[in-house]
Amino acid sequence: MSSVALESNKKVWGGGRSPFNLSYGKIMMWYFLMSDAFTFGAFLISYGTTRFFSSIWPDANSVFKSFPFCGEANLPLMFVSLMTFILIISSVTMVMAVHAGHCRDKAGVIKWMLWTILGGIAFLGCQAWEWTHLHHHGAWWGAFRNGASAEFLPHFFAHNVDPTLFAAEGADAAHKFFNFFFTITGFHGAHVASGVVLNIIILLNTINGTYEKRGHYEMVEKVGLYWHFVDLVWVFVFTCFYLL
Amino acid sequence: MEFSNYESDQSALYSGEHHLDANSADSKAKVKNIIKVTAILTVVTIVEVGLGLYGHSVGMPKWLINSFFILLTLFKAGYIVKIFMHLGDEIKNMILTILIPLALFFWFIIAFLWDGSFWLWINHAFGIR
Repeated sequence: MSSVALESNKKVWGGGRSPFNLSYGKIMMWYFLMSDAFTFGAFLISYGTTRFFSSIWPDANSVFKSFPFCGEANLPLMFVSLMTFILIISSVTMVMAVHAGHCRDKAGVIKWMLWTILGGIAFLGCQAWEWTHLHHHGAWWGAFRNGASAEFLPHFFAHNVDPTLFAAEGADAAHKFFNFFFTITGFHGAHVASGVVLNIIILLNTINGTYEKRGHYEMVEKVGLYWHFVDLVWVFVFTCFYLL
Repeated sequence: MEFSNYESDQSALYSGEHHLDANSADSKAKVKNIIKVTAILTVVTIVEVGLGLYGHSVGMPKWLINSFFILLTLFKAGYIVKIFMHLGDEIKNMILTILIPLALFFWFIIAFLWDGSFWLWINHAFGIR
């Protein structure tokens, strides 16, 4: 009976082909990424709320001004620009891998996946350097409470900061800033690290000919979606922490 | 038969291009488009860094610099999602199921930032700190 009712009403989806013309796996990857966007969004908005609740806030050009092997040279934004560029380029090599998959070009997929993995590892290396550098300047989760590491505090604020506000709230602001900084870049870094692991699995499957036998390289596209999302999140982290 | 796609071989639902020839004009045009978008993303990032470094010293007010940052960020995000993630190639209903829930961010951002600045104002008004 019910099947007859469905036949007579063509507007009701009767099963079979996906109404979105996409496979289950790809649709679910999109919805997972959407939920992950809300997780990152919640982190960044709570960062913004705390910042709006504070009279003063560390100055990005003062916090992020170092470059490896350049000692104490004042190079604001240069290192993070390099990190951003590395991640954008690894996103591009990922699109090239997806494109090679469309062409069923196994050698091409292997070549571009290798570059993507290399880019991911380079980004993680840069992040490890930046974390270590900040840690050496007293910054960490829970830092700057009860007068701890106070000698480093002036380095994190603009030169023209109000001295009264700085004395009253500087340590508290730096404490909150670095809690958010390490949590959010750490959560993003964990995404990059798991993305590198997924990319390596896809690379091994490609080398083994798994997708060649299957007749399509859709797994490269699905992991590619995840990898681009990681780049997308970095675009927002970059703006919120280093620019605004 | 109708339900077999969901219960066995998913590859029957694969929507990608099965027979794209790497040396075809279509393929080359796609690679060219990827390189174009790469150039756009790189230039926009350089502009952002330039604004961050010199925007203040050339006398731009902070609100104007920040508006540029937010617009350029959304511009970059749009390109990544539309071209790199190929969302622009999906059918309209699929695109809408992704974009409509993200509209919650309008409320999310306004409500929380408003709340933060309100409590800062309250603290100042009552001399809490």
